[in-house]
Amino acid sequence: MIPAILCALGLSYAGMASLCLAMDRHHGQVWGRDAAPNVRRALQLAGAVLLALAIWPCVAGWSATVGVVAWLGFLSAGALLVALLLPYAPRLLLCSSLLAAVAALAGLVTFMR
Amino acid sequence: MNAVKVDKVAKTPQQGGLRQAMAWLHTWSGLWISWLLFAIFLTGTLAVFDEPITHWMTPEHALEEAAHANDPPLPKVTDRGHRLELALDFMTKEHPKADMWEIWPVQRPGHGLSAYWFQPAGGYGSADLDPLTGAVIEHAREATQRDTIGGHHFVDFHYELHAGRIGVWIVAITTMIMLVALVSGVITHKRIFKDFFTFRPAKGQRSWLDAHNAVAVLTLPFQFMIAYTGLAFFSDDYVPAPVAAQYGMDNAKKAFLADWNDVGKPVKTGQPLAIPALEPFALRAEQAIGQDIRAVVLDNPNDASMRVCMYGWNEETDTMERLSANTGRACYALATGEQVALRRPGESDTGGAGLTRAVMSNLHMAGFGGTPMRWLYFFCGLAGTAMMGTGAILFMVKRRQKSGGEFGAYTQRVYRIVACLNVAAIAGLSIACVGFLWANRLIPVGVEHRAGWELRAFFGVWFVMLAHACLRAEKRAWIEQLGLLAALCLLLPVLNVLSTGDNLAAQVARGDWESAGVELGGMAFGLLAAWGAWKVRQRKEKPVKKAAARESAAPTASLQINTEGQS
Repeated sequence: MIPAILCALGLSYAGMASLCLAMDRHHGQVWGRDAAPNVRRALQLAGAVLLALAIWPCVAGWSATVGVVAWLGFLSAGALLVALLLPYAPRLLLCSSLLAAVAALAGLVTFMR
Repeated sequence: MNAVKVDKVAKTPQQGGLRQAMAWLHTWSGLWISWLLFAIFLTGTLAVFDEPITHWMTPEHALEEAAHANDPPLPKVTDRGHRLELALDFMTKEHPKADMWEIWPVQRPGHGLSAYWFQPAGGYGSADLDPLTGAVIEHAREATQRDTIGGHHFVDFHYELHAGRIGVWIVAITTMIMLVALVSGVITHKRIFKDFFTFRPAKGQRSWLDAHNAVAVLTLPFQFMIAYTGLAFFSDDYVPAPVAAQYGMDNAKKAFLADWNDVGKPVKTGQPLAIPALEPFALRAEQAIGQDIRAVVLDNPNDASMRVCMYGWNEETDTMERLSANTGRACYALATGEQVALRRPGESDTGGAGLTRAVMSNLHMAGFGGTPMRWLYFFCGLAGTAMMGTGAILFMVKRRQKSGGEFGAYTQRVYRIVACLNVAAIAGLSIACVGFLWANRLIPVGVEHRAGWELRAFFGVWFVMLAHACLRAEKRAWIEQLGLLAALCLLLPVLNVLSTGDNLAAQVARGDWESAGVELGGMAFGLLAAWGAWKVRQRKEKPVKKAAARESAAPTASLQINTEGQS
């Protein structure tokens, strides 16, 4: 259960952070300039993919029905974390979301086996 | 706002198109219910952990449990057949006329034998029996056990305010208005996607609005779900017409519930029939539903129409994987021995509608998904609580900068009342909640109707806080109440040491995370309250400008702020 929770939370957090950094206002908070169009596209795509992937550990950890409810909950939790961390520590948001994405994706591989 | 609408916006906010109308609706419907909703949400959020709170509030029981934690586990009961016989003997002797006998011949270690029946006067009767002899066990409360309703106080309060049916209706109307406020809030919040992650701290009104928007928007699915399922929970009360149409005006509710809960309940024939041994049916039912038997319900005992229904236990894996909390159930007509009904775990006897209802109420109660789901509910519930609190505070913060003059000559007086209610509803209620835990330790164990005194302490503290908020200047009231809240929360572990001798380190050492969780959670809230008190102390007061002065000075700018403030 714990791996599923960490994996789902990591993916939703990283996904929401990615979507967040794709927005000019927030991109600027971290890098001090607007995002290039292709960077923005890439971040949006990565965010969407990470959020979609987060449903996997939820369904694996609970079930198809409970997993979807859990997924919605983790999406909210991930977004709240991003919104709270961003104004106080934008650099930390960047590093931690990268770390979360790598760790959660690695964790996801173990789920597939 | 686009060019076409500009000339409309130039009118008063109420006439300025859908968004302005919704902003007005959101502000005013939201304000008047925000205090009550804050209370419903905060207690509802605490209700998620009602069992750990009850555990903390019954320290004698918790300590005894801890003392036996290392005992070898009791074996599962194997003499269920014998236990059923004992309970049937008891019921035959004591309650032969009851038309429903319910026996819990519990298979689980540490559980005894219980019997339940419908009293002729209405309501449930119950008795605990000695599983070896069948003798009734009298429950004289031991002098060392404290009488408390524990964490269930928060459950009861959040849906009925301890006021019975009237309370249920008040909560229902409030919840309806909350749905109105949610929809109007979404329409008002025009930059809902642009501002999705936006929170700008330390910017006064801006920050309050950001916080209000962020917690609401980011947890919106949860907020809609919890409000909607809360209403669906009592749908047969709130929307009685379908039931009345089906069952007529007299006793419609009773007939409906009988049909709902006792699908296929047999009609008495008057022909006598001896009760056969029930254990073989229990074994058959276990095969049919794939669960251990928890309860055995006998309809029309000693009548030819006699039917027995076997109910299963939900194992932890069941509640982890299913949104429906229904257990398995298998029924047998005892005259023929035939299986007359079968419900597999998670299914419903009453079709799609029944399953929907079961899932809705279980969604509301977080009765699925285990502890992780409870934590998700807890944090989303806190976000909802914060949504109410920030909304109520935002109203005052805005009007502290610039009076809206909504009530003419009475405006300042109304604002004063709003400010008092804000302090009493937000800080005051939080103090009452932690005060309830303090009362649990401070009220002597032997007092008569002790549970009632704990409740009186809760409402009493809340009332004192309201009086305090009305007597003190707003800023002082906030600082003092938040400071008191911080002290009560942070000192909770100290109180526990002084009253029971149990401490946080010992709780953690023996793995009692329920008790430790309550105290650690309390301390987290305490730190938050202390930070809040410190922030209020630092705030610089600006004198309130009169509405009239503002209107003449900068009419367009004021409208700008109004619309921006609502967006």
